[in-house]
Amino acid sequence: MLVSWNWLKNYVALDMERSDLENRLAMSGLNHEGTKSVGDDFAIDLEVTSNRADCLGHIGVAREISVLWDQPLNLPDPQPVANGPSIHDQFKIRIDAPELCQRYIGRIIRGVKIGPSPQWLQDQLATVFQPLNKDWKPVNNVVDISNYVLMETGQPLHAFDLKELFGNEVVVRAATDQEAFQALDHKLYRLDAGTCVIADSESAIALGGVMGGAETEVSDKTTDLLVEAAQFAPLAVRRAARALNLHSPSSHRFERGVNPEGIDWASRRCCELILKIAGGELDQDVIDMGSPGPACEPVVLPLSELKRILGIEIPTEEVQRILLALGNESLQATDETVTVTPPSWRPDLTRSIDLVEEVARIHGYEQIPEDVGVPMVPSHRTNADRVQSQVRNVMTAAGFDEAITASMVPGKWISTFTGWSSAAPLLSDTPMLKGADTLRTSLVPSLLEARRINQSLANPIVELFETANIYLPDEKNLPAEQWTLAISSGRSFFQLKGLVETLLDALKIDQPLQVTDNDSELFTVGQGARLNLADQPLGFLGDVSAKTLKRFSLRTPTTILEINLGVLLKAACLVPQFIQQSAFPVITRDLNIILQEAVRWDELARVVNEAGGQFLESLQYQETYRDPERDGEGTKRILFSLTLRSHERTLTGEEADQIRDDVVQAVTSGLNGKLLA
Amino acid sequence: MDLTQFLQQLDELTASAVGTFEAAPDQDALEAARIDFLGAKKGQLKAAQKHFGAVAKEDRPVAGQRFNETKQAIETALENAQQRLQSGGGTEAQGDPQFDPTLPGQPFQLGHLHPITQTIEELKDIMGRLGFSVADGPEIEDVWHNFEALNIPAAHPARDPLDNFYLGVAAAGDAERRNELLLRSQTSTVQIRVMENCEPPVRIISLGRVYRPDTADATHYPMFHQMEGLLVDYQVTMADLKSVLRLFATSYLGEDVHIRFRPSFFPFTEPSVEVDYHWNDQWIEFGGAGMVDPNVLTAVGYDPSKVNGFAFGLGVERLCMRRHGITDIREFYKNDIRFLHQF
Repeated sequence: MLVSWNWLKNYVALDMERSDLENRLAMSGLNHEGTKSVGDDFAIDLEVTSNRADCLGHIGVAREISVLWDQPLNLPDPQPVANGPSIHDQFKIRIDAPELCQRYIGRIIRGVKIGPSPQWLQDQLATVFQPLNKDWKPVNNVVDISNYVLMETGQPLHAFDLKELFGNEVVVRAATDQEAFQALDHKLYRLDAGTCVIADSESAIALGGVMGGAETEVSDKTTDLLVEAAQFAPLAVRRAARALNLHSPSSHRFERGVNPEGIDWASRRCCELILKIAGGELDQDVIDMGSPGPACEPVVLPLSELKRILGIEIPTEEVQRILLALGNESLQATDETVTVTPPSWRPDLTRSIDLVEEVARIHGYEQIPEDVGVPMVPSHRTNADRVQSQVRNVMTAAGFDEAITASMVPGKWISTFTGWSSAAPLLSDTPMLKGADTLRTSLVPSLLEARRINQSLANPIVELFETANIYLPDEKNLPAEQWTLAISSGRSFFQLKGLVETLLDALKIDQPLQVTDNDSELFTVGQGARLNLADQPLGFLGDVSAKTLKRFSLRTPTTILEINLGVLLKAACLVPQFIQQSAFPVITRDLNIILQEAVRWDELARVVNEAGGQFLESLQYQETYRDPERDGEGTKRILFSLTLRSHERTLTGEEADQIRDDVVQAVTSGLNGKLLA
Repeated sequence: MDLTQFLQQLDELTASAVGTFEAAPDQDALEAARIDFLGAKKGQLKAAQKHFGAVAKEDRPVAGQRFNETKQAIETALENAQQRLQSGGGTEAQGDPQFDPTLPGQPFQLGHLHPITQTIEELKDIMGRLGFSVADGPEIEDVWHNFEALNIPAAHPARDPLDNFYLGVAAAGDAERRNELLLRSQTSTVQIRVMENCEPPVRIISLGRVYRPDTADATHYPMFHQMEGLLVDYQVTMADLKSVLRLFATSYLGEDVHIRFRPSFFPFTEPSVEVDYHWNDQWIEFGGAGMVDPNVLTAVGYDPSKVNGFAFGLGVERLCMRRHGITDIREFYKNDIRFLHQF
């Protein structure tokens, strides 16, 4: 809201420095955004919060100044002289849509002389309009006056050329669907059903609260005026202005609510100025349709609330002075309470806490100390937070950079990977970024895209991880938000698998990691895996298939990993317990076993671990080697080592050999394996 | 013993002896090592020689030649070591002319945490020291937690469909749930969930992603991160709010800073203020704050005549951008590793 320095002087003395005024307004609720000089005046830009529609006019701002500097506020008392016939004999106004328009006040002036406005009026309007639009020009005396009263009071007004109206009645009603309307900007608009229009007997002549019509526009030839001052429903005005992209000073004010008791004042003020400047004769009486709505209810402020909420004492006289100067009407004051009726322009004041804020902001927040002792309390770190930071430690130590990608993705990405849910994803009517209107059900596509972007930037090594939620639809409840870790990488399958093992180790999870096949199209055939932890689904891992690489325009081999961190959170051991380590030396035994190709390592490991007994400390895979000529087709040699140790004594070579023999025996009988001599 | 094994034994012996001689710190140690390897009766070389007889006859010429070479190598190493010790450091003092310490090191490739994560971790850390525990809540919210309970009634402009990401399901026939769910537009939703589930006192922060349909430009992105703080107890004042925020700003900036309040308006706080901190001779916007609106306390089942509290919120991106001199918010979400490696 731009206010004119000179204009404000009409209502309140401005003996202070301008910068003092700007600062103090900023510190009491009207944030100072800047000041521009316009001619010999200054346009002061003040930010008005949505609860303070009363400050969308000069009088409201002047009132704040009068309260802050304890100066009287001088307001005009418009009493336009009406010499014409009674308006009721000439004209009718009807409100057919009271939900769109609570109040409509009409006055008629006949015989005006349209012409340029006087210089003082042009100058004051220029101060508040020109900084926003350098091409701004005054229009004519009548239009300029209605704009002047708008900027004075915050109440929008509109003057119709009465002779251009069909019939002797206007109706405030809801538009029919696709109803045509020719606006002041000479564009034809098609209206949504329910838009508030003012209509004569032929058609809509104004869009209630948003814009006047072209046909009834005040022109040089106009002589007779219908002056409208109304109250339109905020939500309806907002919808119409938004739907038609017609935002105006009027719609801005109606959206925030006008002062129901200021409507007639503004109408009289406007008519008085027209009579004075453009001449003419005012019809007697006024058409005042609708109702001003309920009066403001009294509000009781217990004085103890000030100390309870603000933490400071404010003298009772100061509290009363502030509340009264702001326009509240005093009803009662005792030692404990102050009771007031808020003014009609402050519908935001309905509770004691609202009055506390009024007193606080005028008294000044700088009075509140910034060094009181706040009691100490312990804070707790959640297990999720601990797991999260351990995961990040492992990822960064392993050389992965953290990405943050958008939660919504293009719908076509979803089919890339549906391992977690094949239910239809959640959609938004509003896309987050171009085409991205679908809540992701996997982080993988986002990280493949991030990899593609880095590829296009010619970044040589791209190792990315992200921890974020994925959103899995649930028919009955809020969608499941699964806390997930994903990786896109240029490393091998087994490096990523090793990363999972490292992560499990870092979180002290000793439950077995199980791997089964996964035939998702995301993966190269046979090289995708489903990961389970103690039979709980943990995640997915694999080499990205050529088809998917092509889909994301990736040129280099890529592996992905995605795991459910919720499973790790449940299994993590965050306070590991000490285990006494054996003081005795290890003995190792290497074995080279010939097995059928179909026998997988996890089967071999299970048999070896069972046969190894209590002294088998660990089993290490060494390598796989194939020699079909010696061993036969479809076989492989697996070389592995046994680490043997006792907690009680040094094992003998004979004991170690016995364990090795037991293992060989089990592998031979259980897996049809053969020890390589 | 076959030839291969014999030769391997010799190689190991050479490596072991040369290493030991080179490492010997003084004459005594060298003498002990000499006896160990070259001792006439029990030296290791002597022991190795005993295996010579086990080598197949046809391999013996090769084995013999290699044995002599081994002996020669070990003796040369001994001489070198003696020279080195006699000349007071020998080759170590002269240095290896091939060693160039100015060649580049071999760095370890560490991953980097995203700067937003780093900022969030720092915020959590500071607020944790001030007694605020982290609370989490869902990103997909219902209108009760995102609006109603936060004193944002149905007619409020903040609920406009164009200003929020309301969600439906791709499947048809879900009109009923449409516009009941949305991506949270603020982390204040977590306050409600926490207060609904526990009695005062409450001292929490919530951090995370929030969503508003802004067109992406240098200062806006439709997804960003917020930190929201909440303290509710039986006697809480705006002086406590100001003091906590000053402690926070002082911790974050590393020196004593001052705080000021400017009146503002938020539906869920009353009074509401904008908070600025004084830094490098200017006032810098920090975020919004205020005393929790009694309607919010009532909505979660608290008695606003008995308990009250304060809340504050700030944008993580803005804080991070100011701290690191980042000028375009979109950099955060491009995930260019050259960007990520800077932090």
